[in-house]
Amino acid sequence: MQNASRWERVAGSFDEADRLYSKPRSFASDVWFRFRHKPTALVGLIIIALLILFAVVGPYLTPYGYDDQNTKLANIPALMSVYPAPDGQYIYITKALKLIEVDASGRLVRQLKKGKDDSKNKVTVFPYKDDMTVTLDYTAQPVTIQDQNGNRIEKAKTVWNRSYLLGTDHLGRDILSRLMYGTRISLLVAFIAALVNMIIGIFYGGISGYLGGRVDAVMMRIVDIIATIPLTLYVILIKVCLDDGMISIIIALSSVYWVDMARVVRGQVLSLKNQEFVMAARTIGSSTGTILTRHLIPNAMGPILVTVTMLIPSAIFMEAFMSFIGIGIAPPLASLGTMCNDATDALRTNPYQLFLPALVICFIMFAFNFVGDGLRDALDPKLKK
Amino acid sequence: MTQNNAPLLRVDHLTKHFPAGGGKVVHAVDDVSFTIRRGATLGLVGESGCGKSSCARTIIRIYEPTSGSIFLDGDDISALSQKQLLPYRRKMQMIFQDPYASLNARMTVQDIVAEPLRAHHICKSRAEEREMVIQMLNRVGLNQDHAGRYAHEFSGGQRQRVGIARALILQPELVICDEPISALDVSIQAQVVNLLRSFQEAQGLTYLFIAHDLSMVRYVSDDVGVMYLGQLVELCRADEIYARPAHPYTRGLLSSVPIPDPVAARLKDTVGLEGDLPSPIAPPSGCRFHTRCPYATPMCSEAAPALREASPGHFVACHQVNG
Ligand SMILES: Nc1ncnc2c1ncn2[C@@H]1O[C@H](COP(=O)(O)OP(=O)(O)O)[C@@H](O)[C@H]1O
Ligand code: SF4
Ligand SMILES: [Mg+2]
Repeated sequence: MQNASRWERVAGSFDEADRLYSKPRSFASDVWFRFRHKPTALVGLIIIALLILFAVVGPYLTPYGYDDQNTKLANIPALMSVYPAPDGQYIYITKALKLIEVDASGRLVRQLKKGKDDSKNKVTVFPYKDDMTVTLDYTAQPVTIQDQNGNRIEKAKTVWNRSYLLGTDHLGRDILSRLMYGTRISLLVAFIAALVNMIIGIFYGGISGYLGGRVDAVMMRIVDIIATIPLTLYVILIKVCLDDGMISIIIALSSVYWVDMARVVRGQVLSLKNQEFVMAARTIGSSTGTILTRHLIPNAMGPILVTVTMLIPSAIFMEAFMSFIGIGIAPPLASLGTMCNDATDALRTNPYQLFLPALVICFIMFAFNFVGDGLRDALDPKLKK
Repeated sequence: MTQNNAPLLRVDHLTKHFPAGGGKVVHAVDDVSFTIRRGATLGLVGESGCGKSSCARTIIRIYEPTSGSIFLDGDDISALSQKQLLPYRRKMQMIFQDPYASLNARMTVQDIVAEPLRAHHICKSRAEEREMVIQMLNRVGLNQDHAGRYAHEFSGGQRQRVGIARALILQPELVICDEPISALDVSIQAQVVNLLRSFQEAQGLTYLFIAHDLSMVRYVSDDVGVMYLGQLVELCRADEIYARPAHPYTRGLLSSVPIPDPVAARLKDTVGLEGDLPSPIAPPSGCRFHTRCPYATPMCSEAAPALREASPGHFVACHQVNG
């Protein structure tokens, strides 16, 4: 160390250079900063928040349960073209040629009882109030109606269905309430399935990646084998073996989708475990558990979160698909898929019954995909400005 | 600062091979032996890729040695399990090259520096732990304001000091510095080197100091070892290696030292290093340096020269250097 003095001269004190000027920033706040500057991601997040609100709080605000049915008021849409009744009320004619009394504000009052039916002349007389009657003439489409004096009544206006804001289905159940319960169940199934998949995937992939070598080779071959058969097929097979109900659909969804997660986590762990901070932890003498939970998994959390947000829409879609083909959530419980299924019978006459749950499914898919994309970009250090 | 002359670290025929697929192996470290006296510093120098990091990581048992032994304070630690190693880990620590990759970005400085304390259950309470961490941070020129911050908020030099704090908080005896300043700004390098030296003086630390060129090693080292393709080719006192470099590879390294230096200037007649480092998967036969050596003879590609004492305390592995 003969030339030590050379170094002393240059060295200054640390104090000035080390003064901190900025506020502390955690990684999470960095990510949030980048995330909220991406409009699509933010819109997605807001839609998800609204959907959750819709599904969780909504059912408390409607007077109907998901299985309250009133077959007399079945298949009534949200927007009704009504005819003025003789007494100032209105009449709505359903596709099944039933007459519904509607008040001026759009509330449904009752279904008119059938009177005399003259099937030869294709007319039906409905007693209205007191001695008033309404005659339905169905000789030709569109049908026409007359009052008791034989005057033809013309369509007056279109009113919003105030009793069932989004109409009723083929059993006369409120579609809005069923949408709320359906969204609740779909989200619940998806969230639980995603959580279970995440946990299994993190453990499986984490252990496989960290141990490496032959353990890794065997564990990944198992994953490969599971992944060669389409996941849909597994889910259907598992579901068929189990009984109906929510638990079994969660089990079915949870038992296969972790494969992607395990691969993601393994890849992350494999590349992280040779980084110097992990070596540092090993030279320190930290336990394997500490290394996995404090070093590897937190650093892999970004891709894990992205995978989870992308996994939720596929779980929702899978649940909807299974319910649609009739092996998912059993009636009378509503899920978005069962609602679509129920609607297909009356697709020609009442397309709105399919349109509404399909729309909600679309919203969920878009929102989660937007959020997943935004999260991926926010977490990608290469896009750091 | 040297209390006794028993070596704190003795590395004996250490070899580390990595499987390279297809039955081939990477000869990262081949038959390396040296000792470091307590309180002294051995500088280990060589081009990048010549196996310095592998050597360091094998010594500290992150890599399993292929063969050979490592004696820490007289105990052979080369075959101990990770569990048995735990008490020895308190005695040896490592400072890493990359100040960005060596700190976990998801942890605060407090947590990073406290990790060794937790791993060895040293503190009885969080308050005591915090106190020790702040004390350690003060000693590397940081303070409690830095403790709650994340590593990405710091400059390279500050990060490296956090790394030093983490390595030294257990009060180890041996510290392996794997190119601790080569990733830092030149203006910061001196600060970090001085910090390391002041710790050495205060605590009698023993350093294995790794660098990829000879320009700086002389200021910190008592002895210098030169590595080429996994092997030690020259080993002697630091002043000796600058005054009388014997191995052709060492001379090549010295001629590429950029700073104007009377000693290096005197050696300007020697040729600089030409060509690239051969692959450690198939190292050249005989003397591994013969593909680039200006003095190579046919014998050099046939027989590998042993590391011999050419003059007292000066070990060289070259057929052309006679004692
Ligand atoms: N974990 C590893 N697996 C396989 N090969 C490795 C590994 N670590 C290092 N090597 C190889 O060993 C050789 C020496 O590398 P290294 O010890 O990092 O050199 P240095 O630190 O001197 O630059 C290089 O050829 C490198 O590719
Ligand atoms: S042994 Fe031969 S090839 Fe090797 S360094 Fe000496 S002279 Fe050069
Ligand atoms: Mg290196």
